[in-house]
Amino acid sequence: MNKQESSKVQLSGVVKKFGDNTVLHGIDLDIKAGSLTTLLGPSGCGKTTILRLIAGLELPTSGKVILGDEDVSILSASQRDVAMVFQSYALFPHMTVGQNVGYGLKMQGVAKDLRTQRVKDALDSVGLDGFQKRFIDQMSGGQQQRVAVARALILQPKVMLFDEPLSNLDSKLRRQMREDIRRLQQDLGVTSVYVTHDQDEALAVSDDVVVMKDGEIAQQGTPKELYLQPNSKFVATFMGDANIVEGKVVATGEHSQLSIDSITVKTDKPMPAEYMDKTIEIAIRPEALSLTATDNSVAGLPVTILTKAYIGAAIEYSVQWHTQELFLVSATGNQEFNIGDDAKVFITPPGIAPIFT
Amino acid sequence: MKQTQNTRSSHPIDPRSKWALWGLLAWAIIPWKGLEYGLFESSFSEILHAYAWSSLNTSVLSLLVFVLFLLRPWRSLPKANLLDAVLSLGTFVGIIFTAAVLKESLGYSAAIQLTFLLFIFSLALARLGFIQGDPFMTTAIVVIMASITIFVLFPISTVFSKVLYLEDGTFTPMAFIKNITSFGVGRTLMNSLLLAVTVGLSSTFLGLCFSLFTVRITKRFKGVARIFSMLPIVTPPFVIGLSLILIFGRNGTINDGLLALFGNGGLFIPSGSEGWFHRSAYIYGFWGIFLAQTLSFTPICFMLLVGMVSTINPAVEEASVTMRASNAQTFYHVTFPLLRPGIANAYLLAVISSLADFGNPMVLGGDYDVLATEIYFSIVGAQLDYARAATLGILLLSFSLLAFVIQRQWIGKKSYVTVTGKGSGGYFQPLPALVRRVATTVSLSWMAFTAVLYGSILLGGFVVNWGANYTPTLAHYEELWARGIGYGAWPSYITTLKFAAIGAPLTALMGLMIAYVTTRKRFVGRGVVDFSAMISFAIPGTVIGISYVLAFNTAPILINGTAIIIIISFIFKNMPVGIRSGISALSQIDKSLEEASLTQRASSIRTIFTIVLPLLRPAMISAIVFSFVKSMTTVSAIIFLVTADTQVATTYIMGRVEDGDYGQAISYGSVLIVTMLLVILLVEKLVGRSRIERA
Repeated sequence: MNKQESSKVQLSGVVKKFGDNTVLHGIDLDIKAGSLTTLLGPSGCGKTTILRLIAGLELPTSGKVILGDEDVSILSASQRDVAMVFQSYALFPHMTVGQNVGYGLKMQGVAKDLRTQRVKDALDSVGLDGFQKRFIDQMSGGQQQRVAVARALILQPKVMLFDEPLSNLDSKLRRQMREDIRRLQQDLGVTSVYVTHDQDEALAVSDDVVVMKDGEIAQQGTPKELYLQPNSKFVATFMGDANIVEGKVVATGEHSQLSIDSITVKTDKPMPAEYMDKTIEIAIRPEALSLTATDNSVAGLPVTILTKAYIGAAIEYSVQWHTQELFLVSATGNQEFNIGDDAKVFITPPGIAPIFT
Repeated sequence: MKQTQNTRSSHPIDPRSKWALWGLLAWAIIPWKGLEYGLFESSFSEILHAYAWSSLNTSVLSLLVFVLFLLRPWRSLPKANLLDAVLSLGTFVGIIFTAAVLKESLGYSAAIQLTFLLFIFSLALARLGFIQGDPFMTTAIVVIMASITIFVLFPISTVFSKVLYLEDGTFTPMAFIKNITSFGVGRTLMNSLLLAVTVGLSSTFLGLCFSLFTVRITKRFKGVARIFSMLPIVTPPFVIGLSLILIFGRNGTINDGLLALFGNGGLFIPSGSEGWFHRSAYIYGFWGIFLAQTLSFTPICFMLLVGMVSTINPAVEEASVTMRASNAQTFYHVTFPLLRPGIANAYLLAVISSLADFGNPMVLGGDYDVLATEIYFSIVGAQLDYARAATLGILLLSFSLLAFVIQRQWIGKKSYVTVTGKGSGGYFQPLPALVRRVATTVSLSWMAFTAVLYGSILLGGFVVNWGANYTPTLAHYEELWARGIGYGAWPSYITTLKFAAIGAPLTALMGLMIAYVTTRKRFVGRGVVDFSAMISFAIPGTVIGISYVLAFNTAPILINGTAIIIIISFIFKNMPVGIRSGISALSQIDKSLEEASLTQRASSIRTIFTIVLPLLRPAMISAIVFSFVKSMTTVSAIIFLVTADTQVATTYIMGRVEDGDYGQAISYGSVLIVTMLLVILLVEKLVGRSRIERA
């Protein structure tokens, strides 16, 4: 399949209500042409509704949906140049694989010969050429997933939409499929919007991640930005594990400094001067915390080991620090501690994010 | 968005104008007024006179409006679509009301033109953004709403107005109170309720025993269970009552047997003694109806409960046992509570069925009168008391609806049984000994009794006069079937098949459409469609009958005495069959299949035809078959509507029953049973085969 022209997607001021229930409260969202953008959030946050609004399966209560340069706000799904891969795949059980993939072309009146060729190409791109005559129930879960992707990309849509496409697969297959989808998307250069509630998946496939909460966008950015510089406690805890501790700002500017208990740490996040001397919350990733013996001279927080879990590549500890519990991960091979031991925790960037708005 | 709208309005002919053109065509070439003797029996001058242009009549309204829509001079106005909608719907309502006031009966052309007005209205609504601007779905919804209004809500409201208004239109609420307190009404109501409440208990109990028996005690009777689940569907009204008379009646087998043993000159009675047994008519009255209804409705309860019993997850029983509960404790504290909503549901269903039942009380009632039959007796014969019939109809409807609302609102939501895709492993625990013994005994005796009963139905037609003369004979069959195609049972048999065949596809279509729009679409008025469709589940046939008589006996919709009204009553009486199979089939079809089709650029109408209908095919076929079969056994809804020309099988049988000609009635019943079984088995075979072909 050829690389195709891609379009940006814009939502401006989109409100969606179902009866009295407001699901989206004025969403403004820009999705760059050719990018893969993930909508991430807990269930009920409105991420799937955004996807369905882009698809035209729902129409906005107010606000605009723009594909490329065209305002498609009131066009129905069949009038829009988008394609969608459904969570349940939504493959037509009464049709063969070939008929499923060729369905959209048939609806547009593409001649049979051309259709056969394009179905072949599309199936080939997902590694399923030769399966045209099979019925859907004769395909495995992973194969069905590929058929669904082939059916979506055959129309060479301006935008591809993925609604939790991997949630029905087991974890090994899921990893492989997400790499395949990412590679295909980059080969075709098609703008893609991807909904998931799995942050690992989001971090792995996306150019851009949009974290959502209660019908609003909590934060948008690259996976790295979101992980290392969350702007809220919600984003910090949703994007992986985070220890939320309190600290005092002791230096502002490009590289601010914070003092926590008796130690001072540097951050990568610029901070305006008015935060000087204020006490704020800080999200610290588990891998930014390290354990050391109490007699080590390095500056650290005094802790007691509460639990210890061996998980193969690392050991997970939870430790008591004053009244608070901290969670940290230590690579196997580092010095080991046992439950009840006293120890010291020191903090190394990155993975330290002051939370302020 | 702007662009698309421009291309739309610059389209050469607006679809609204097209429908207006068709409307004008219908105005010109099809008779506007109703023809008293039908299209084929009317004289040339009668037909000529019925044309819209042959006199000044209501059709000037439609003529004017269609011409306006053809030109649409307001097309560039900002509110053009709104104007379209208001004008088309206004004309629709206007024509009906004007015709009602002028006492003008509307005919074929009027029906067609009114339909086209609805199409125009739907297109305008779609442009206004109804159902996301989808013209096809909008039209479907508008047509459904209009037909429910005309053929369900309007007739029912006529029943109410009959008791609240006098002939001259005076509002007299006191008349209703007078009617309701008049002699016999209270007793009839109490009779109906007592019967319904007790029949509910007995049918539910038997149904529960039999479902425990077939699911949990032995698998040997699976085949029998299947036959039993088909019995209520293929058993015509009256025949259970008749077979009970054959067995328990005054001249029935039991009476004869007891008489031979203990009667005058009996085997155990010394000669000279009078004997202590005399012929008795104990079967007529409460216990007769009770027995007949229990036999009729137990299979209905069984079908509902067997589903519940077999979907209980064995794991919950295993969990209970692992917590040191005995089998008995497990049954009483886990299994039975899980079944309770199903039991309550089955009970209310039996209550509703008993209230609506007409055939059994008709045959066995004696002087035990119930609402359904009293409505009939108020209208036929010398009384002709429509107000009394309407009053009884309202009472019957209220109690049916009450039971139905309780069933849906209160119990419908309390089902614990969840269907998941996961196969549930594990084994059921044995039932407690007492439950096992009771269920087995009850089920075996009930099976034996039902077998004897249906045996007597089949045999009863082959003896001269059951009870008096057991000489084998074919006379009843010859009388019915051997006198040529125009005689005996043939005309009614053919009429029945014809009406059922016309009505069945329409019933299925209507039911499936309603199921589709109420489960898949959100729109203003969805609640109304949902509610009216649902109440049609609970409207007793007799009430449909009386309401149709009252509503369609005068202009503007004068269709009484025609075949059309019978087919329409079939459609709205049996629509729930279609709705139910539609809803259950649609719940199996993932909604995202349709969405996938839409995102593949298929319009909604193409999605319906390429995705929804093919997947609904099995549901559609079963809906058609069952509405066909149900139409064949419908009697209460059409008893007031048939004429000599439109006599159907059930009314013919009723005539034989009223003449006391039980032999013929029962032979005709057997023929109907065999016909229906053949239809069901044949279709099942065909559908089964085509399914295998696909896989």
